Amino acid sequence: MESLNLAHLHLLLNHLPTIGFGIALGVYIIALVARSDALKRISLILFFLIAVMALPTFTSGGAAERVLCPENKCAEGVSPEMIRIHEDWALLAFLLMEATGFFAWLALWQLRKSSQLASWNWAVVLLLSLVTVSLMATAAGYGSEIRHPEIRPSETASSAMLLCADTPGVARCIGAVVAGNTGVAWLWPAAETVHFIGLCLLFAVVLVVNLRLLGMAKGLSFKALYQLLPFGMLGFAINLITGMMFFLAAPGQYVNNIEFHRKVALIVAAGINVLYFMLVDEDWSIGPDDNAPARTKIAAVFAICLWVGILYYGHMLPFLGNAF
Amino acid sequence: MMEFFQWLENTGFSTWVRESPSVFAFPVILLLHTVGMALCVGISAGINLRVLGFAPGLRLSPLEKLFPILWVGFWINAITGTVLVMQDATNKLRNPDFFVKMVFIALALVVLRMIKNRVFKDPQLDRVPLGSNVKVLAILSLFFWLGAITCGRLLAYVGPVGGLG
Repeated sequence: MESLNLAHLHLLLNHLPTIGFGIALGVYIIALVARSDALKRISLILFFLIAVMALPTFTSGGAAERVLCPENKCAEGVSPEMIRIHEDWALLAFLLMEATGFFAWLALWQLRKSSQLASWNWAVVLLLSLVTVSLMATAAGYGSEIRHPEIRPSETASSAMLLCADTPGVARCIGAVVAGNTGVAWLWPAAETVHFIGLCLLFAVVLVVNLRLLGMAKGLSFKALYQLLPFGMLGFAINLITGMMFFLAAPGQYVNNIEFHRKVALIVAAGINVLYFMLVDEDWSIGPDDNAPARTKIAAVFAICLWVGILYYGHMLPFLGNAF
Repeated sequence: MMEFFQWLENTGFSTWVRESPSVFAFPVILLLHTVGMALCVGISAGINLRVLGFAPGLRLSPLEKLFPILWVGFWINAITGTVLVMQDATNKLRNPDFFVKMVFIALALVVLRMIKNRVFKDPQLDRVPLGSNVKVLAILSLFFWLGAITCGRLLAYVGPVGGLG
């Protein structure tokens, strides 16, 4: 029953990165043409939120595949080749969408330092989002054909890389390489090490910023402290990339693993939490020795708890779930 | 020596850590080791990056208040690390990788002390730019911590490997 829900979840969530992202891009273009700062901000927030939601969308796709094709035997009318093509395009679109989300967040962050934004970032967000929208549309198109065997792809999915010629699809190929199936045994442990380094970077920034908000280490103004946020985001980016490597290498460990679902849910919540700090204006005027307002303190407690929770569920994957 | 390792590994406590199905045995001890790492290395890395010139608007002097958290992280790891070595002593204490890790940690601690003395004890702090000497220390510190994490992670893969990570 649970995996059935996950397939439905995928069908439900996939409207956000496709339709939602298209709407966000529309708002963004209108904002650029109309030179409206308010609209620009709204579209940046939308880009960021949709990029956050793209994570459960992508990871629930693996669970949806297992509903359609249990034990690698696909149900009547389901095209396994189409699933591979859909997954490859979805992976590419996901990568670009996360990059868009990152630069949209960076734009929101830059807006905090000065009301005028570096012109390069407007262009970067515009370019990335345009490419993402077309990739996403392609991925969605192939996704809708999974259930329609009458529309068959003219070319069958083939791995572009010689590295894993027997594995159909680029996403599966990346997974096979990370898992060590092609003889590169060091990649998984190396990715784990890098995942730990990203964790240190991210967790330290979360702690320093939020403990200051709670009253520790006074003497630091909020504005100065916020210079640390991109380091935290960098740590998150490192861990998103290495985390996706693990996910692609061993999807079976994660797609039906309740600990992993909890972890992803908490990451989404933490994404919304970090947006709070980007949006509340008065926090930015907190001086070096001032107390933060009560609701900011509540948000800070949430932030610490959410990230400890993410670390906990990530760590518990091998113990409570079925991952190693 | 081997007898001692075996005795260490077979004490009631070690056996409980290794074999108990309780989540509070091995899993939580390893979790605490990860949290301790995040506190200790994370804050250390933050200070190092600031010393290297990132986030220039951030004053250095209040960052000294973060050292207690760093040390909490360090001691969590010293204790949980000891337990983790005990429960797998015959493997870990014969693994050169473990001793490389210890050397990295020792070096990281020495450099941390030097940074603390040279940066935070300086009355001119936040008034004059930092010298290139402390920047070299900051790079060394990042390198040593990176080495320690890498060796730690590799303990699950190289040399005599026993049990879970």
